[in-house]
Amino acid sequence: MLTRRQFLDTSLLSTSILSLASSVPCFLTRSLQAAEKKSHGRILVVIELNGGNDGLNTVVPFNDENYQKHRKTLQITEAKVLKLNSKIGLHPAMTGTAQLVEDGRLAIVQGVGYPNPNRSHFESMGIWQSALMNPNAHGGYGWLGRALDQKSKQVRTFADAICLGNVDPPQALRGRQATQATIRSLAELQLDSHTPNSETKPDESTTDDLLQFVRRRTVDARATAARITKLKNAGTTETRYPQSGLANRLKGIARLIRAELEPRVYYTVQAGYDTHINQEFDHYRRLSEFSGALSAFLNDLRDSQLDDRVLVLVFSEFGRRVAENDSQGTDHGTAGPVFLAGPSVKAGLHGSTPDLADLVDGDLKMTTDFRRVYATVLSKWLEINPQTCLQGNFAAMDLLQS
Amino acid sequence: MELALQAEKPDSSTCWREYRPTKKTPWNLRHVVHLHRRAGFAATWDELQRDLQEGPQASIDRVMNGTTCEKSYSEDFERMSATIAEAAVRSNQPDRLKAWWLFRMLFTTDPLTEKQTLLWHNHFATSNQKLEDLSLMHRQNDLFRSLARAPFGKLLTAVLHDPAMLLWLDAPSNHKGHPNENLARELMELFTLGIGHFNETDVKEAARALTGWTVIDDRFSFRASQHDAGQKTILNQHGVWNGDELVEILINQRGTAERLAWRLCQLFLGEGVAQKSDISTLAEGLQSHDLDIDWGTETILRSELFFTDQNIRQRVAGPAEFIIGATRALELSDPPPQTMILADWMRQLGQDLFYPPNVGGWNGGRDWLRTSALISRANFATGLSRGQFSSNHLPPDWSRLAAKQEQSSNPEDFVAFLADLLFGGDPSPGWVEGIVKSVSNKSHSREVVLQQTVAAVLTSPEAQLN
Repeated sequence: MLTRRQFLDTSLLSTSILSLASSVPCFLTRSLQAAEKKSHGRILVVIELNGGNDGLNTVVPFNDENYQKHRKTLQITEAKVLKLNSKIGLHPAMTGTAQLVEDGRLAIVQGVGYPNPNRSHFESMGIWQSALMNPNAHGGYGWLGRALDQKSKQVRTFADAICLGNVDPPQALRGRQATQATIRSLAELQLDSHTPNSETKPDESTTDDLLQFVRRRTVDARATAARITKLKNAGTTETRYPQSGLANRLKGIARLIRAELEPRVYYTVQAGYDTHINQEFDHYRRLSEFSGALSAFLNDLRDSQLDDRVLVLVFSEFGRRVAENDSQGTDHGTAGPVFLAGPSVKAGLHGSTPDLADLVDGDLKMTTDFRRVYATVLSKWLEINPQTCLQGNFAAMDLLQS
Repeated sequence: MELALQAEKPDSSTCWREYRPTKKTPWNLRHVVHLHRRAGFAATWDELQRDLQEGPQASIDRVMNGTTCEKSYSEDFERMSATIAEAAVRSNQPDRLKAWWLFRMLFTTDPLTEKQTLLWHNHFATSNQKLEDLSLMHRQNDLFRSLARAPFGKLLTAVLHDPAMLLWLDAPSNHKGHPNENLARELMELFTLGIGHFNETDVKEAARALTGWTVIDDRFSFRASQHDAGQKTILNQHGVWNGDELVEILINQRGTAERLAWRLCQLFLGEGVAQKSDISTLAEGLQSHDLDIDWGTETILRSELFFTDQNIRQRVAGPAEFIIGATRALELSDPPPQTMILADWMRQLGQDLFYPPNVGGWNGGRDWLRTSALISRANFATGLSRGQFSSNHLPPDWSRLAAKQEQSSNPEDFVAFLADLLFGGDPSPGWVEGIVKSVSNKSHSREVVLQQTVAAVLTSPEAQLN
């Protein structure tokens, strides 16, 4: 935990940030409060599987004859699958994830999607991230950004949400007041010691909104970097993580959580799920990385006795088409599974398995609207009114222990 | 993209009218700097002075005909470029191919073409992550360059016959009876029509038209036995369409002209500057000019809209603009910077050349300014001001730069000079004073103060805008 003294140290390192306090009202007050009072707030960690994960070969209906028929070469047989019951099993690469189900720490919601599915990576990702059927409506804000806006005390801190990874700032976190920091890696936040304190005082009278945006971002970036560099050696872990990009990022997130930073939402991305050809090996590798990283992360948090405070949400922009194509791959499809992980979940399968005999244009019909999952996370985990945030009434599901 | 403020702008019916200096909008340093930063990678003081004298028509002529940058490379530029590229491909080190492109951006006399090459790399985003073939990546890049300003149909046809693109979007796996939709979908969604102008059936039918297109021995090849020669209905047009005919259909769609117009506006205009109706007007013009990219480019660069106040410095500078722009404007070419290092900074700033994040390319705009990118920009500025990227690692002689342009190197005067050089004048009220204050430190030598000044200027929020 950052003490008041440590916080003041950090601030003094970047006096220019203080000089900008006028543009960040109550910056100090808010952060000092945070530094003084150990937060017991709950944390949401989102993992985006980018590229459209083949849900059917992730949560596999191995016994279904239609599955066998449509997946001639990519079929995962009963002998290989990690069985959850007599009909459904996990991809054989997901041993860590299967163990999480066993431990009672992983819930799987099947057939999650939205009406009139869009098979464009970008449009579909936008829909998931904004929780709106038109992702650019209402200013292009994201569902978590809007949620954090509701919690925002109308004052700015260095970031309400942190995205770790070499990606663009995710739309999901974009809010009107809420700010996000997007960081390639914790190691890259060190400011060159020769860098002058060069921010100029913002001109209060300006109406130039792009310039104001850059000024705010600059202040936020410096403050975030100053805080996180200060933590450099704090919060290291004994837990072993596999060697992978996703594992490294989750390890970084665990460190930030241990350091008691303010953000309640963390976000990261695992890319590479756009498997149009030779899917078998690629998909195996991705899921294996995912599964190993996720279970190491949860074990790390458990070892630090923080896991009660953390819920992980895993989604992809769409699943793949039911029938494989001729190149041992799959084209863009529709519904897919969503995972929730952590000790607070009701482990096992939720929602109904999509019917492979009842397809629309060769694609799955969704059985659960993704906004019901969001509504659950918002109301039962983050304790935020989902109706305001999702701009509609979506019934929460019974996915979390009360 | 997000939260774009709709700036005031000239009436839309006149917005593409040619800019002529008037008393209210004179041809001044601000406009010259703006032209160079948008249409290229910033200018040296001498180039700015030259264009200030020559006026807008001649200055834009220079931009268009590739003589806007003074020759700053002592040997035959094209020959050296070819040598570096060849060595990079042979070494099989991606960093060396990135460095090759940085070399071109830095020393070309025709920055507009390099900038548009970068535009097409983003539009037809292909990643070496999947290809792992520098030879194909290099060939594709030269293709973008050679057709960067051609009629769009020519560029598109060439790209669709480009082995790197075909492999990237799995064209060789697209067979009769067993389509692989990857190429067809991105062709319609990203390369031509854009979302909303086609449906799922169009994608499936387009994939059928493209069956049989493949790569053999690193060349485009058509395998008739894999081609589906049946009837197809694409965008309500019935026929036994093949790939080339599909391209023809797409090129003639209004959506394609709109998307091309949007791309060019995105490259050359700031946030919220071009309204929907402006883009439509431009698209109309493009359609009557065979979708000629050069016509579109010239129309924008010569327009009143381009030189309107609301367009100046209303766009986030991309990594290439930031890095090459600073290096060029500050004349840090003798000794030349190490382009491998510059390429690595570009990666840190968020644009890893030849490795776009996905088929949609880089989002750009405000997304360039993520937290770690801003820290990297500051670190880059500091390193540059101290000569850390030059081949001799010696600090640049900032007093000499000032003296060469007959400027004083008093901190106050030097900051004002940098403001003229980089922004065409004080970018915001009180900005010069702020910089001077932030670097005044009595214990530092004059040269260190000047270094800090350069770093402070480039790190300022104002310097992140173009």
